[in-house]
Amino acid sequence: MKNMILTFIVLLLSTTAYAQVADIFGYYEPQYNGIYFKDHYYQLLSNKLRVDLKSSAIAHTEIGADIIFLLYHGKTDWNILDFLPEVISSTIPPELQELYEFAYDDTFYLDNVYARFAFDRLAFTLGKQQLSLGTGYFTNPTDIFNTKDALDPTYEQPGHNGLRIDFLPTNRLSIMALYSPISADFRNSGMLLRTKLGLGHFDLSLLVSQSQYTITDFYTFEAKEQRRRMLGADIVGEIVGVGVWAEGMYSFLEEDDDLYEFLLGTDYTFENGLYTMLEYHHNSLGESNHENYDLNDWMRFFVGETKTIPRDQAYGLVTYPLTDMLIIGTSIIVGVSEWSTAVVPMIQYSLFQNVELTLMGNIYIGEEGTAYSSKLGNGAFLRAVIYF
Amino acid sequence: MNRNEASKPSIMLFCVLLATLLPVAQLNAEDNMTADEILRTLTETMNPEQSRGIMTMTIVTSTGQQRTFKYETFSKGQGQKSLMKYLEPNRVKGQTILMLNDANDIWTYFPKTKRIRKLATHAKKQKVEGSDFSYEDMGASNTFIEEYDAVRLKDENKEGRLCYKMELTRKPKSTAGYSRVVMWADKEQFVPLAIDYYHDDDPALCEKQLICKDVRLIDKIYTPFKCIMYNRLDNTQTSIEIIEVKYDVDLPDDLFTEMGMQR
Repeated sequence: MKNMILTFIVLLLSTTAYAQVADIFGYYEPQYNGIYFKDHYYQLLSNKLRVDLKSSAIAHTEIGADIIFLLYHGKTDWNILDFLPEVISSTIPPELQELYEFAYDDTFYLDNVYARFAFDRLAFTLGKQQLSLGTGYFTNPTDIFNTKDALDPTYEQPGHNGLRIDFLPTNRLSIMALYSPISADFRNSGMLLRTKLGLGHFDLSLLVSQSQYTITDFYTFEAKEQRRRMLGADIVGEIVGVGVWAEGMYSFLEEDDDLYEFLLGTDYTFENGLYTMLEYHHNSLGESNHENYDLNDWMRFFVGETKTIPRDQAYGLVTYPLTDMLIIGTSIIVGVSEWSTAVVPMIQYSLFQNVELTLMGNIYIGEEGTAYSSKLGNGAFLRAVIYF
Repeated sequence: MNRNEASKPSIMLFCVLLATLLPVAQLNAEDNMTADEILRTLTETMNPEQSRGIMTMTIVTSTGQQRTFKYETFSKGQGQKSLMKYLEPNRVKGQTILMLNDANDIWTYFPKTKRIRKLATHAKKQKVEGSDFSYEDMGASNTFIEEYDAVRLKDENKEGRLCYKMELTRKPKSTAGYSRVVMWADKEQFVPLAIDYYHDDDPALCEKQLICKDVRLIDKIYTPFKCIMYNRLDNTQTSIEIIEVKYDVDLPDDLFTEMGMQR
């Protein structure tokens, strides 16, 4: 790690010397989390520093990189079993319970580093880069690389290694091909081909992909890896002035049953600035009855192997600009079959030109054993982002 | 959560002040022109074939807080295509807005998440980055001709210049954001020097007023270098100043695409 830091500092200094050909920017993000859980109040503080470098000094070439420093304080050690329903956690033998512990450790890593070679209608991006797929807001069924946190869905996602090629045959037709060596062998590495077409006021994407699919049995901690082939599509546009979108995928697994997910969404902004959004998400990997949730359902959700615990979820978002600098809002996540709900109130304030404050809460009001059970505890965070 | 990405992505677009208000070629004004002729000529000359500029937008809230944005704008096809890329502040640097088909199709690009989001037309009436300009104010080059019936009123002096005065009334089936618009256009330079915008639901209530000044001749086109939008209801104002602008440019079509947004 010391070598990495040294390298980055040297890179920074040398770039500063040639500041006319490179940009250095980023942000510092302190965050205070307060969690009320099982009659105790816990606090977790984090300090995040992201430093970006970007240079376009070479013709047709952009070089970008960012590095992230993350420091944690307070209640950093947790055990996932504490959050699970008693009926599930009590089945885990005491000697195995430490396997479910996790900690927020201080970390430092190169989040993205890439070179992009762009010509008129053709671009190659090589390296660790952010990838974003799909039209959904709270979740993206077609995104095989990222899993959004539905409580904070617009937060930035990590970079992924790959070679991406973008080609633009016409102004409303684009083709994207991606190879991502996420597996040790070529056969199960990520490969994706997407065609995006503009049709009137709609954008339509069709994609095929192949990737490694991992599903873990958390009773034995055995991970099963197999090839997944996926067909996906998404569309976004409007009908009589109302925004509409849809996104779906069907996955063929080499050994297990096929999977499918789809999402439907709509939004509208009223003239007074009130913004409203609704999304509905169906995930065949989820359970339709919360009494059937087992350890694997919970754990696969926590580690991102599945996007939801319930089979059907609905999402709502309402925001309103109280002043030009202050936005208030709430999002709601509902497990449809069990009617458990998470309410996420939010206030966002532009304190200064480059300083933003966000206060966000999470209130769970479901019954014991449901995905958004009140037993999960309630909390809030205050986040400041200072851009430089 | 980045709320901007959700509803009206933190867009700082303004490219189309060029399209709606700014550059106006010098014309030989004739006193017997009808309102439709004046408006048509004004609109045609307000939208140069191509343009490229750097501008600043300063928002002043009712409590006196200020926010300043700097961005680069590109337009082509007499305002049919436009692209705005934020340069400052760092909070929004790199965010880009693409508007096609007279701003009926809007996309926004967020470099922080590498995500492109398409906006539905309901967002057109919303404020751009908390400013007093809506997307509709900035993005629709032909709105005055297509959405309003125009009547010429008696010429008046405005901002020290003799102006054509016109009243525009929203057509019955139009969804334009203002019920009525009154415009003063310089008779010699054909630059709109003032525009009063009346409330969507109340034709007697002046909601916003635009004042343009510091007119300069750039590439044979008269261009007001400073425009200020006063919001009479919220007691706020937003000014847009041109730092540099060129009309004699040759912009590639692929600039106005999703790939162009990410450059």
